Amino acid sequence: MADHDPPTVDDVVAARDAGLAALAAAGDLEALDEAKRVHLGKRSALAGLQRGLGALDDAARREVGRALNEARQTLAEAEAARREELEAERDRVQLAAEAVDVTLPPRTPPRGALHPVRETIDALLDTFTGLGYPPVTGPEVESEWHNFEALNIPADHPARGLMDTLYVQGLGAEPDQVGITPMLLRTHTSPVQARVLRAQEPPVYIVVPGRVYRSDVADATHLPAFHQIEGLAVDRELSFADLRGTLAAAVRSLLGPEVPIRLRPHHFQFTEPSCEVDAYYDGRWMELLGAGMVHPNVLAACGVDPEAWQGFAFGMGPERLAMMRHGVTDIRQFVDGDLRFLSAQTTVSP
Amino acid sequence: MRVPLSWLRELVDLDQGPDELAHLLTMGGLEVDHVAHPTAGIRGVVVAEVQSREPVEGSDKLHRALVTDGRATYQMIAGAANFDAGDRVPAALPGARLPTPSGPLEIGRKTLFGQTSEGMLASLAELGLGDDHAGIWVLDGDAPLGVDLAEWLALDDAVLVLEVTPDRGYGLSLSGVARDVAALTGAPLRLPSAPPAPEVDPGVRVDLADPQACPRFTVRRIEGVDARRASPAWAQARLVAAGMRPISAVVDATNLAMLETGHPCHAYDAQRLVGGRLGVRRAHEGESLVTLDEVERACDPDDLLIVDDAGPVGFAGVMGGARTEVDEATTTIALETAAFDPRSVLRTARRHQLLTEASQRFEKTVPPQTVAAAADRAAQLIAEFSGGRVTAGSDAYPAPPEPVTIPLVPARARSLLGIDLPDLAQRRLLASIGCEVGEPDPESGALPVVPPDYRPDLTIPADLVEELARLHGYEQIPESVPSAGRVGGRLPAEAGERVARRALSGAGWTELLTLPFVADDDVAALRLPDDDARRELIALVNPLSKDEAALRTSLLPGMLKAVRRNVARQLRDVAVFEVGRVFLPPTPAEPGAPLGPGEDGFALPAEPLHLGLVATGRFRADRFDDEGRPADVYDLLGAIDALRSALGREALDVRPTDEAPYHPGRAARLGLGGIELGVVGELHPRVVEAFDLPPRALAGEVRLDRLVADGVVAPELATPSPLPALRIDVAVVVAEDVPAAQVEAAVRDGAGALLAEASLFDVFRGAQVGEGAKSLAYRLRLESAERQLTDADGAAVIDAIEERVRARLGGSLRR
Repeated sequence: MADHDPPTVDDVVAARDAGLAALAAAGDLEALDEAKRVHLGKRSALAGLQRGLGALDDAARREVGRALNEARQTLAEAEAARREELEAERDRVQLAAEAVDVTLPPRTPPRGALHPVRETIDALLDTFTGLGYPPVTGPEVESEWHNFEALNIPADHPARGLMDTLYVQGLGAEPDQVGITPMLLRTHTSPVQARVLRAQEPPVYIVVPGRVYRSDVADATHLPAFHQIEGLAVDRELSFADLRGTLAAAVRSLLGPEVPIRLRPHHFQFTEPSCEVDAYYDGRWMELLGAGMVHPNVLAACGVDPEAWQGFAFGMGPERLAMMRHGVTDIRQFVDGDLRFLSAQTTVSP
Repeated sequence: MRVPLSWLRELVDLDQGPDELAHLLTMGGLEVDHVAHPTAGIRGVVVAEVQSREPVEGSDKLHRALVTDGRATYQMIAGAANFDAGDRVPAALPGARLPTPSGPLEIGRKTLFGQTSEGMLASLAELGLGDDHAGIWVLDGDAPLGVDLAEWLALDDAVLVLEVTPDRGYGLSLSGVARDVAALTGAPLRLPSAPPAPEVDPGVRVDLADPQACPRFTVRRIEGVDARRASPAWAQARLVAAGMRPISAVVDATNLAMLETGHPCHAYDAQRLVGGRLGVRRAHEGESLVTLDEVERACDPDDLLIVDDAGPVGFAGVMGGARTEVDEATTTIALETAAFDPRSVLRTARRHQLLTEASQRFEKTVPPQTVAAAADRAAQLIAEFSGGRVTAGSDAYPAPPEPVTIPLVPARARSLLGIDLPDLAQRRLLASIGCEVGEPDPESGALPVVPPDYRPDLTIPADLVEELARLHGYEQIPESVPSAGRVGGRLPAEAGERVARRALSGAGWTELLTLPFVADDDVAALRLPDDDARRELIALVNPLSKDEAALRTSLLPGMLKAVRRNVARQLRDVAVFEVGRVFLPPTPAEPGAPLGPGEDGFALPAEPLHLGLVATGRFRADRFDDEGRPADVYDLLGAIDALRSALGREALDVRPTDEAPYHPGRAARLGLGGIELGVVGELHPRVVEAFDLPPRALAGEVRLDRLVADGVVAPELATPSPLPALRIDVAVVVAEDVPAAQVEAAVRDGAGALLAEASLFDVFRGAQVGEGAKSLAYRLRLESAERQLTDADGAAVIDAIEERVRARLGGSLRR
C-alpha cells in the first residue's frame, strides 16, 4: 500500500491484523508497550489511514471510518487483555520470589498473665457486683474484738488459741502469759461485717475480698495466708431461702447454669442456722462455701437490733475454687511464683 | 466419731443401708465423712481352742500350736506367745480370707522352719480391727467353739465415720446419733438403761470446790471385780470398730459406756484412793501428776484436778493418774462420772497435749442432767464384764440447772427460713428431738420450748430455727434472689486496681503472689538506712518459722526470693509484679483502722497497698531475626507509665534518686500531681548479690493505693483540628549533666499552645556538639484549630525554644 493511495477497508483490516499479531507476540510488558506504540500510537498504520480519510468521498469515508473505529476498538481490547495476562504473569513470578515461611515463630508482643487466684476473686466480684453487692475491704491486722468478740467467738474458744491464730505484737499490744495479744492476723474476712455494720445503718449488701491467715504450716492443701470472699446482706425480711437463691445464682454464674447445689447443715459461731454449700461439679459434690443467717449476737454486738433486722452471710475460698477450675493439686503453687505455673493466661472474667 | 452400723441398729430400729444412712445423717446435721468397711471380705475365720503350744525348734519367735474347731485339729505356727492351752482364739483355716487394705488375702498352708502351718491364728489387726498387732486375739472363754467369727461378732460391718461440729456434742455418742436417726426417720428408739445404783455411801467422800467448773460428780462402787478378765469378744470387736483399743474388762466397759452414752467416766481402784476421798479443785503451785501414760506432768494453776488426800489423781475430764489406776489386783472400783466446764477441760487438754476421747467429749459440753443415768449404765457394764456387783452410789449435784425455756415465735421462724412451715409442723419437728413445747403465749404468739437434756447446745430461738430447718430438710428450702435495691459496682479504687493489673499484664508483666512474712535478714539485705520506716518490722507472737517472724514492710524481699527461685529453674527472663499490702507503724498522716469498743492501749498498723515490680534478663525475648533486649530501668518506667495512662492520669513526675536498695545512678523517684508514688530502678549490686540474683536485676515499688485512689479518670476528648499540622524538628545542645526532662520542659514550653505532640527521636554525642555536651533532637507536631500554620509559625516556635534553652539550661540549638 502506497502512502498516498486513498485508504480502503482492506488496508484497515490488514493493519488491524498486523497489530493483533504483534500484540499477541509481545512476550513481556515492555514488548507490549512497544507493540501498542507501533500499532495504536500516533505513527501507527491505523493513524496513517485515518489521515487519508479526507481524500475519500462521503460514502467511502463513512465505510472506511467505521472500519477504522472497529479496528481501533479491537486492538485496544486485545491490548488490554494481553496486558492483563502479562501483568498476572509478572506478579506470579515476582510474588513467588517474595514468599516467606509463615510457619516461623510469630512475633508475639510481650504479654504477662494475671494470677489465677486474683482472677477467680475478680470473677466472684463480678458476680456479686451484678447482684448489687459492692466490694469493701478491711484491715488484715485486726483487733480481737472485730475478729472474735463481735462474731460471737468467746474468749476461750479454741479458734482463739495460738494453734489456730497468728498473733501480732508491738504498737502497744503485748502478749499475755499464754502469748495472746489483742492484735492478730485476721482469721477470716468476717470482721469486715462488724466494721461495716457498726459504721452503716442497714440495709447492707456487701462483698468482702481479702487475705486471711491461719497458723497452718504450708502443705498441699494449706497455706498460712490465703484469700476469702465474704458476703453480707442485712435487711428487713431476708431469709434462708434468699441465701440459698443468692448462692445458687452466684455458683451457677461461675460454674455453669445447670450446676446443682445443695445446702448441708453445719456450724459456725457467727451464723445460725448455718450451712455448707456443695456444688455438683466434675461428677461429684464439692464443698464450696460456708454460710448462714447472721447470728443475733453478731447483729447485737454491732449495734443492730436483731428483732428489726435479719440477714445472711457467706464466705468462700478463692484458692479452692481456683484449684477446681484449673485442676491445681498443690495450693502452694499459688504463692511460689513459678513462671511456668503463672504464665498461662487465666483471665476468667468476661 | 466412728459409728459401727450393727451397734446403731441395736439402738434404733432402722432398715436403711449404710450409704443411705450416711446421706440422711449428713443432710440432717451430722456429717458422715465416709463409710468405712474395715472388715469387708473376711471369710472362713472360726473360733478355735488351743490344745497345746510349744516353741518351734531353731526359731526364737515362732510357736507351734495345735488348735481345734471342734471338728478337726490343725497345726498352726504363730509369731506370738500370748496364748495358752485352753484359750479360745480366731483361727483362719486354710482357704480363709482376711481383709487387708489392698484387698482380701487368701490363707493357705505354708511351711516355716520345717513345720507346716495349716492356716493361721489372727491378731485384731489381721482381722481388720484396728492396728493392734501385738499378739493373737484371745477371745473370752464363752466364745462358742467352731462358729464363724465374722457372723458371730457381726464383723462384716459398715462404720459411719462422722465429723461432728462443736455444737453437736451429742453426735459423739451412739445414743445421740440414734436419737437423730429416730428424729429424721421416725424409727423407734431402743436405748439401753441400767437400774439405778443403791443409794448407799460408796465409801468415797466427794467435795466440789468449784461447782462452776464441776457442777455434778457421781460415784458408783463396784465390788468383787475380777480385773484380770478380758471383756467379751463382741465388746472388743465393737470398741475396735469404733476406733478404740481393748484393754481389760473394766476399761473396756467404761469406754463402751462412753461411746454409748457420750459420758466419759473413769474407774479408780477404790482401795488406792487415799483418805477415801475424791475432790475437784484447781491445781496448786508446784503440784504434778503422773498420768496413765506414765508421764509426769507439772500442773498449771488453771488445771482442774481430781484429788484424794495424797494429791492429784487425774486431770478432770482429760486423763486419770497412774497411782490410782485399776490393775490386775483390783477388786473394788470407784467409778467417777461427772460434768466439767468444757473450756477448762479444753485448756488443760491443749496445755498438756492430751487430746483424749474424754476431753474431746467434755470440750463439746457434756450435760450434767444425764450424768447419773450414764454412771449407772457404765457401772452395769463393768459389773457384767468383770463379774462384780454395783453396791453403792452417790451424787454430788449442788445446783441442778433450771430448765431453759426458749420462746419461739413460729411466724419469725417462717420469716427467717423463707418457708411456709405451719405452727403444728414446727411443734411436731421440735417434739421429734425431744423438746417439750407448751401452749403459745397469747400476746407474742411465742411457743415456750424446753429442749431435751441431751441438747445443751439449744439456748436461743435461732438454735431452734436451725433445728426446724434441718429436720424439715435443708433441701426443702426454696431458692429466691432478693434485690439489693440498688445497682452494684466497684468502688473507684477497686476498679482502678483492676485496670492497673490488666494494664500491667497487657504490657508484659506477670502477676505473682507471695506470702507476706519476712525475717530481719530480708530487710537487712535491702541495705536500708537505719531510720528507714521499712526497718521497723511488726513481729508475730507465734510465727510459723524464724524466716516468717514479722510482717512485710516492702514487697521486694518476697518477690526477689520468688525471682531467684525462677532463675534457679533456668527461667531467667523475668518480669513480674505483685499487688499487696505492707504493714507499717501507723502515723497521724496514715493511721491504722479503728479499734473495737472497749479496746485501747494499742493501734492497728497502716496497711498501704503497694505495687512491686521485678525484672531480670531480657524484657524483649531473643528471636531468630532479632537479638532482643535486656530489661532496663526504662522498662520499669514504661510499666508505671502504661498503668497511669490506663488510669487516665497525667504524666509522671520523674526525678533521679540515689536511695537504697537501688543503684545510685540508675533509679528514679516517681510522683504524680505532687503525690509521692515510690521508686523504680536497677538494684544496687550489693543487694543483687545478697539476694543471689542475676546482675543488673531491676525492681520498683510504688503506692498503688495512691495511684488508683480516684479510680479511672475519664479523659476529655476535644475535637481534633481539621486543618493540616506542621512538623518541625529541633536539636537542643546542652551540657551532659542536664536531665532530659528539663530539656523537654523547655521545648514544650517554647512550643506553647500550638504544640500537639513532642517526641525525643535522637540523642547524639560527638565532636560536632563538643566535649561534655549532648544533643537531644525532638520532633514536634504543631496544630491550630483556628488557622492554617505557616513556616513563619514554625520559625517562631524554634526561636521561642532557643530562648528558653539558652536562658534556663545554658544550651543552644543546632540550626
